[in-house]
Amino acid sequence: MENTGPFAGPDAFSGATGLLFEQAMAQTRMAVCLTDPRQKDDPIVFCNRAFENLTGYGSDEIIGRNCRFLQGPHTDQKQVSKIREALKNQSVAVVELLNYRKDGSSFWNALHLGPIYDENGELKYFFGSQWDVSEIHLAQAEERNAKAMAREVSHRLKNVFAVIGAIVNITGRSMDAPEVSRKINQRVQALGRSYEPTLDDAFLGTIEVGQAVRAVLAPYDPEGGRIIYLGNGLRTEPNAISAIGLTLHELATNSIKYGALSNDTGTVEVEWRQDNDRHHRGSLVVCWRERGGPPVDGAPDEDNGTGFRIVDTLLDHLDGTLERKWEAEGLQAEIHFPIGRAG
Amino acid sequence: MNGLTQLKCVLVLEDEPLIAMDLQWALEDAGIDAVTARNCPEAMDAIKNKSVDGAILDVNLGKGQTCENAAMELHRLGLPFILNTGDLDRSGELLRRINAPVVAKPTPSELVVERLLAVAAERGANQSRIDI
Repeated sequence: MENTGPFAGPDAFSGATGLLFEQAMAQTRMAVCLTDPRQKDDPIVFCNRAFENLTGYGSDEIIGRNCRFLQGPHTDQKQVSKIREALKNQSVAVVELLNYRKDGSSFWNALHLGPIYDENGELKYFFGSQWDVSEIHLAQAEERNAKAMAREVSHRLKNVFAVIGAIVNITGRSMDAPEVSRKINQRVQALGRSYEPTLDDAFLGTIEVGQAVRAVLAPYDPEGGRIIYLGNGLRTEPNAISAIGLTLHELATNSIKYGALSNDTGTVEVEWRQDNDRHHRGSLVVCWRERGGPPVDGAPDEDNGTGFRIVDTLLDHLDGTLERKWEAEGLQAEIHFPIGRAG
Repeated sequence: MNGLTQLKCVLVLEDEPLIAMDLQWALEDAGIDAVTARNCPEAMDAIKNKSVDGAILDVNLGKGQTCENAAMELHRLGLPFILNTGDLDRSGELLRRINAPVVAKPTPSELVVERLLAVAAERGANQSRIDI
């Protein structure tokens, strides 16, 4: 075989440094090659075992060729031109590009390349390390797909809720019961909102309580600042969300009619946390504290009661409770809801 | 309601007929005539031929069509309008280009109409009305 460069023979590296280098290169799982930019077409003059394993070529098929033989039909030429720039400017570059093995299969190659100078500061080699990042690419693509899918589902869900709202309104108006349809709609839409922001990570199997709380209550505080949220990233089972969403909706509706949200200055504090109930079961607690509204004189009567009756029944089915204390400074309510029965 | 800026005839661009109908009725409840359009060319027609003085536009109209042309025409004429869309996540760039107030779907139709009236009133306060 003709001499293709300084690595053709076993004496390529001299001394202890050379020995260490060769041993390290032989053992590392990082595919490494060196090219000689002083030769015509910058051929590969050295590659290690990992490089052979990665590409499927033997070193005899690699040495003497320009690195571009690893490119193929779907290699992004923009990335290739970044490599070309780096070679021209003798600078360091990190690019990810699709490369092809000897058997035609492709892999994502995270290529790091940079110049190596000799003791006189003359450019001697280009160093290239390559790492197969196909799995990372696959995971990223899957995550992108999952996110795109979640957004599509979320978009469709919103549309479905918008159409349901329209049907309820149209029916209510045509049957001369717009008040009834308005109430149905408010509850349906509160339910829709409680699920809305949670779709993105719904695949985790649990839902973040705070996101649902904020989404349900957002329309009742259009300017912001009237409802104060106190809670952390607590998560719970999806089936808890409907009950909590509807309960918060009733509390907010009541507050807008009679409570702290009925004037211009009152505020509501909403706090959520995990707690143990008296049977030592995990329990989700949501506290609702109104202040600064018109003075409260006992529980309001009339139709408003209906809303709380629905909620009481709903929570009862789920072993939950809604305690209401009509204090003078405003309604103080607590929702208790068992979660994580398994412990 | 808003003496000076009360709208007379509002264009509803919406590909979902039930939502269009709901908005139409909510507008009529507020004493405003409604013209509905299912796609952008119909909307452009309505803007040209009917004396529309405001609009509620759905953003994505199916099959990749959007309300952009109608929105730009309304901007050019200086007419108040709002966007009513459930697709805030994916339409970011388009929404920035159109640059108009957005009401997220689903919002009850009477609130959508209220929002449009508020936008029209704000505009009436900031600039004298343009004669068409």
